[in-house]
Amino acid sequence: MTGYPSKDSADEMDALASEYVLGTLPAEQRLDVQNRLATDADLRAAVDAWEGRLLTLTELAEPQTPSPQLWGRIERSVSSHDRQTPVKAAAGKSHSWWDLLPLWRGLAGAGLFATLLLATLLATRTTPVNPTTYLVVLVAPQNQAPGWVIQASSPEEIQLIPLGAAPVPTDKALQFWTKADGWQGPVSLGLVKPGQTLSVPVNKLPPLQPNQLFELTLENPTGSPTGKPTGPIQFIGRAVKVI
Amino acid sequence: MHDLYTQESARLLGVAKRIARSDALAEDIVHDAFIKIWTRAGSFDPARGTARGWIFSVTRHLALNFMRDNAHTLEVSEQSESAVLAEAALDVATEVDSFEYRARSGRIYGCLEQLEPARRNCILHAYVDGYSHSEISQKVGAPLGTVKAWIKRSLVALRECMG
Repeated sequence: MTGYPSKDSADEMDALASEYVLGTLPAEQRLDVQNRLATDADLRAAVDAWEGRLLTLTELAEPQTPSPQLWGRIERSVSSHDRQTPVKAAAGKSHSWWDLLPLWRGLAGAGLFATLLLATLLATRTTPVNPTTYLVVLVAPQNQAPGWVIQASSPEEIQLIPLGAAPVPTDKALQFWTKADGWQGPVSLGLVKPGQTLSVPVNKLPPLQPNQLFELTLENPTGSPTGKPTGPIQFIGRAVKVI
Repeated sequence: MHDLYTQESARLLGVAKRIARSDALAEDIVHDAFIKIWTRAGSFDPARGTARGWIFSVTRHLALNFMRDNAHTLEVSEQSESAVLAEAALDVATEVDSFEYRARSGRIYGCLEQLEPARRNCILHAYVDGYSHSEISQKVGAPLGTVKAWIKRSLVALRECMG
């Protein structure tokens, strides 16, 4: 069990490397491989190749948020690790690398390492585009009392959220309009039920602009007969960019 | 170092947790991995692979070492054992995939696709869950010798497929 031929054929060595990386070697053989890695360049190359082949599979383990204390522990250990041996889980390792590696070398290496990591990450990732977010508070024109909030966190749709249930006469309806600077006139975004959140798809409209006007007017139950606001403004507000 | 932590700690912890099967132990392992990465960063050789791959390898092997070194003292708790058995029962005749490996990009997935489901499960239980031969044998309900042979041959097949 402990022995392997001193001159592995390439296939046997590759099989050993593959099972080492896969994790199925028994403790004794694992230790054996780990000790050989320091001196056996061929085995190391075979192991590295297998690490590379299988690495993607690590993504099958669901990420897990660390406890808030973990970073503090690491920081403390790094600053005090000098001559201690905090590596409990590495009990099987016999290298006393902490004695061999002066602190400053580690620091320099960490810098190099951060650079490499950043380069890797930059090359393999695309930064998610953060859409501009807008917020509109619609207030009653008479007393400036806020009645609705519009939230636009995605370019596809905006949400009209009531802050209360303002009564609407039974023979009337609230109609939702918007107009940006430079538009011919207001565009209807549909009828609104008092007290209910309304999601409005806006992907057919030009992108939201700062200062874009939104308003709710009182119209006939079927909406404005002319396609433009005809009734009194109930609530009005302008878009503010949220950073 | 803190950037690296922010960027990768959740993924590393996920990897360690699957193998160590305990939150506390997984955090110990990630802690140890970071110390190791920090102290050995000077010996990192870019010719041996990507920095990111290295970090994951360090974490996985610390977790595997711990599990193998403590194999004789760690008893599978009754709860996790019954969970294992219940899951095994779900893998009807080992023809069902235990892992959501499809719809992922990466050469390895295309190559795994070419293996029989039972063998694919063996490889994934070993790599992702850190199961030993006998644990896999229990899990997939196949004899130990069969599992060992499946894994050996599957690795050869993966090697041929991936180059």
